[in-house]
Amino acid sequence: MAETSLFHSIRIDKKKCIGCVACMKICPTRAIRIRNQKANIAYGKCIDCGECMRVCPQNAIVPITTSSADLNRFKYKVALPSPVLYFQFGHHIMPHEILSVLKEIGFNHVYDEALVCEMVGLAIEQYLDENKSPRPIISSTCPVVVRLIQRLFPTLCKNIVPIEPPREIAAKNLRDELSKEKNLLKEDIGIIHITPCAAKMVSINHPATMKKSFLDGAISIREIYNSIMMKIKKLGRPSILQTQNRISGIGIGWSIPGGEIRALKYHNCVSVSGLHDTIKILEDVESGKLKDIEYLECLICPDGCVGGPLTVENRFIAKSNALRLIRMYGGKKRVDSNFVKKLYNDKFFSFESSVQPKPFPPLDTDRTKAIKKLKFKEKIARKLSGKDCGLCGAPDCITFAEDVARGEAKLEDCIYIKIKRSKGEGKYEKKKT
Amino acid sequence: MQSKILLQQNFEIKGGDFINAGESSIKIRNILKDIGIDSDIIRRVAIVAYEAEMNVVMYARHGKMHLYVYSNKILLKIEDRGQGIKDIDLAMQPGYSTATEEMREMGFGAGMGLPNIKKNSDVFNINSTIREGTKLEIKINLNNKNG
Ligand SMILES: Nc1ncnc2c1ncn2[C@@H]1O[C@H](COP(=O)(O)OP(=O)(O)OP(=O)(O)O)[C@@H](O)[C@H]1O
Ligand code: SF4
Ligand SMILES: [Mg+2]
Repeated sequence: MAETSLFHSIRIDKKKCIGCVACMKICPTRAIRIRNQKANIAYGKCIDCGECMRVCPQNAIVPITTSSADLNRFKYKVALPSPVLYFQFGHHIMPHEILSVLKEIGFNHVYDEALVCEMVGLAIEQYLDENKSPRPIISSTCPVVVRLIQRLFPTLCKNIVPIEPPREIAAKNLRDELSKEKNLLKEDIGIIHITPCAAKMVSINHPATMKKSFLDGAISIREIYNSIMMKIKKLGRPSILQTQNRISGIGIGWSIPGGEIRALKYHNCVSVSGLHDTIKILEDVESGKLKDIEYLECLICPDGCVGGPLTVENRFIAKSNALRLIRMYGGKKRVDSNFVKKLYNDKFFSFESSVQPKPFPPLDTDRTKAIKKLKFKEKIARKLSGKDCGLCGAPDCITFAEDVARGEAKLEDCIYIKIKRSKGEGKYEKKKT
Repeated sequence: MQSKILLQQNFEIKGGDFINAGESSIKIRNILKDIGIDSDIIRRVAIVAYEAEMNVVMYARHGKMHLYVYSNKILLKIEDRGQGIKDIDLAMQPGYSTATEEMREMGFGAGMGLPNIKKNSDVFNINSTIREGTKLEIKINLNNKNG
């Protein structure tokens, strides 16, 4: 079945799109083509990294998150913010104040992930203790990395740590607790992640490792930022929430690079952030090159979630805010490791199902035909200019050659081929050599 | 049963070129993905190709890697001109390595390359002549689902 925009976190506003090549050029999986002067996403190739959204000069690429109508379906609304939300505000606004403002703007309950981050850290450690291969084990936190692995590095699906990230575990736990405590039906509780990226929306609507996500939706930091600011202006300093004083340095630390590995007892762990560096290191892992690394934390955004596409604050400032908060709250662990061990053994943290490879479709499902097409692709590639001009509507010459081989583009769409043909093949060849 | 070659591709490997080292195995991987080879098989070919390529980069002047795809197997041949291996049995021992200090600095030299190649192949042959060069031949069977 072909994937549609329903499975993804972005769509293109065709009215705003002017068909420039910015998004097509930046797309790491070459999922975008320009057709009839408009960008088109081949959703089967999209990994929801958000790079296109960052570079679009027309703001024509729109993130899809939970609408307020969707939110109002729930009787009891719970906000589960990524700690990155805390870093968007300056010195004078503290995390617990932000949490209490969230209660002023329509949420019935708010929850900080910190304790759960500690728990998940311990669970990862236990997994590493019990499973000595394969290596390295790769973090499951960033949904884009999981998708990137499914698509581009399917052989590494086995390396992904089969433990749900803190946001899912927190939601799982919360729903149980709240339904008991407040005597609510589980389906009346809407647990909404406040997110730095739209990719979470996909992991909520179409989770890779379970039938249904424990979260009910996601709202971007960018969408909610103004309401928080306005409320603070109006109310002055918000009253501090008494019951939710659980914020910890370790939890906050999870959302900046190195956060997951800082708490691990294993020493040979590596943290990588940014799209291109992530792809590079996964290539090395696939070659079997980095077997001495125990745990690999990969985050698709530059500097991790603080550099998420739907944040407000400049990522360097946000990071500095994060470091200040970590210092302030300290690094004391507060979770009982025996309790976590018990939960771990009960599979509380575990994936329901393993991450399945979803490689790009081969040139043809019939191998003999695929090989023919591969040869054809290479033959076409040799004819092309190698200028990667993008005028044909494909991001580069090789991809265009592949499109032609797959029957999705015509050779004449290349302007150089057209010129060559109109001038007569021979003349052009002579000039070139 | 002898089946015919569906695809052949050749790659040059330059000894001592650590900057571009690994490129050929990435290209091979992409070709196999293009033609729909099973991801477990790709994983094994990737490891074999990478380790063999790195050995050429580290211990030889120049080499060639040939990829052959048959309907029922993948064949990799790697031939280099270089120092050759004096004692093949010894070189095959896990942990045996003559890598220099610099190579170890770069993370090579665990002495696991050849053992890993062998482990990941269905048929493995090695021939070497001292001061001339080394030849490897690796076959990996395809569990044929789609011809
Ligand atoms: N193509 C080659 N030419 C010459 N000598 C080789 C070649 N391949 C391997 N050797 C010799 O065999 C030894 C063992 O090779 P092997 O690939 O198993 O380990 P390594 O290359 O030393 O370390 P690693 O592969 O783990 O980085 C090498 O140290 C080298 O002395
Ligand atoms: S790094 Fe963080 S913000 Fe960026 S895509 Fe991954 S999870 Fe989202
Ligand atoms: Mg080696």
